[in-house]
Amino acid sequence: MESLIILVVLTTLGYAFGSVIERRHFASIIAREHLLRNIMCFSARTPPSDIGPVDSQLVGGNVVISIDYFKLIAAALRGLIGGRVSAYETLVERARREAILRMKVAAQDLGATQIFNVKLETASIYNGYQQQTGSVEVYAYGTALIPHTS
Amino acid sequence: MTDYRNPPIPEGINVHPQHPLKEFFWMLAAVGIALTVAIALLIALANYLVTFVPFEMEQRLAQHMEVNYFQPGDAPPTPALIYLQSLGHSLAQAQQAPHPIRIHLLDSDDINAFATLGGHIFISRGLLEVMPNENALAMVLAHEIAHISHRDPIIATGRGLTVALAIMSLTGVGDGAMAHQLASQFSLVTQLSFSRSAEAAADLRALETLRQYYGHTLGADALFNYLVAEQGRGNALAEQPLLALLNSHPLHADRIATINAFTGSNHNGQGQLTPLPANWLAPRTD
Repeated sequence: MESLIILVVLTTLGYAFGSVIERRHFASIIAREHLLRNIMCFSARTPPSDIGPVDSQLVGGNVVISIDYFKLIAAALRGLIGGRVSAYETLVERARREAILRMKVAAQDLGATQIFNVKLETASIYNGYQQQTGSVEVYAYGTALIPHTS
Repeated sequence: MTDYRNPPIPEGINVHPQHPLKEFFWMLAAVGIALTVAIALLIALANYLVTFVPFEMEQRLAQHMEVNYFQPGDAPPTPALIYLQSLGHSLAQAQQAPHPIRIHLLDSDDINAFATLGGHIFISRGLLEVMPNENALAMVLAHEIAHISHRDPIIATGRGLTVALAIMSLTGVGDGAMAHQLASQFSLVTQLSFSRSAEAAADLRALETLRQYYGHTLGADALFNYLVAEQGRGNALAEQPLLALLNSHPLHADRIATINAFTGSNHNGQGQLTPLPANWLAPRTD
């Protein structure tokens, strides 16, 4: 009985904190994406030939986002039923967009206008008790092209 | 660079539009219902199959029970125990009980009696002390003997094991933990709870046994009358058996009504209450 109460309390706390944090994070992501729209990202490996004189440099952005207890339980239930694990979909989406934003900030600091050959790496870290995923890491990296200012 | 653009991507492509709480409770309900149906099916199956377990097997299982519940084998039986065993034997014969029974005395102030695996019946000293006459005691004994005749302890054990196994398989507890859990189940057989219909059936068979043995069922409701009166006075000891071991028993008032109905339909106004032997519960010397 005690463990059931602990489970309900943890799930409620997880939902309360997790949903507020997620809502704020999405709002912040949308705002910052708008601000950084001038830095364009492409997955193409090479820039077009008419790009002009540029310097290139590796830029990257990295983020680790933890799941909350509510998402853990929701995903476990989903694991019994099958279907879209929407609890994790939002989590991975946030991590992906946040990593790209951080990469764009790194490129902006260098004075770059475009990033080519953008790639994303994901990893789940802390496979703790019973192989439960604790948090997701996304690393975005690419080649920043910095136009010659002279 | 006209071919290279980053158009704004619409929101909500990757994110499920359903509210997470709605989805959560939907999944919880689906899993809960599936689990309930599965366990109900397993219990029905276990209830059916477990009656094929031979009584000898039940007796072997009972040997795993907590040893401290049993009287030490070399201790001389007290007069109370000898009397209880002889009364129990007579009642078992009157009931035509198919299995041998053994009665044990629990040195406890609780008002409690229960039947468990292997034909073992435990009666607390506290219960004996409030018995007004032999008929009341015989009702309790016949009720517990009826549980053993009906194989209720092994049915309850089978049900408990089935539920434990089902839950452990679902939650993915390892094999080692499962074996440990199964072993620990046998230390809990003294806390079996029988279904309400099993209790009602045992009451009815006990009444039939009393009629067979005494020729009437007067005094059968004495214990329940006592418990009702004590509960009215707020006696915690009278509440305890209900909350602890006998919590699946029908309500005292219902049982008294059943007994009265049985007595009314079978009793011709004749019959006498049998007194308990004098000084049978001699105060303990130790």
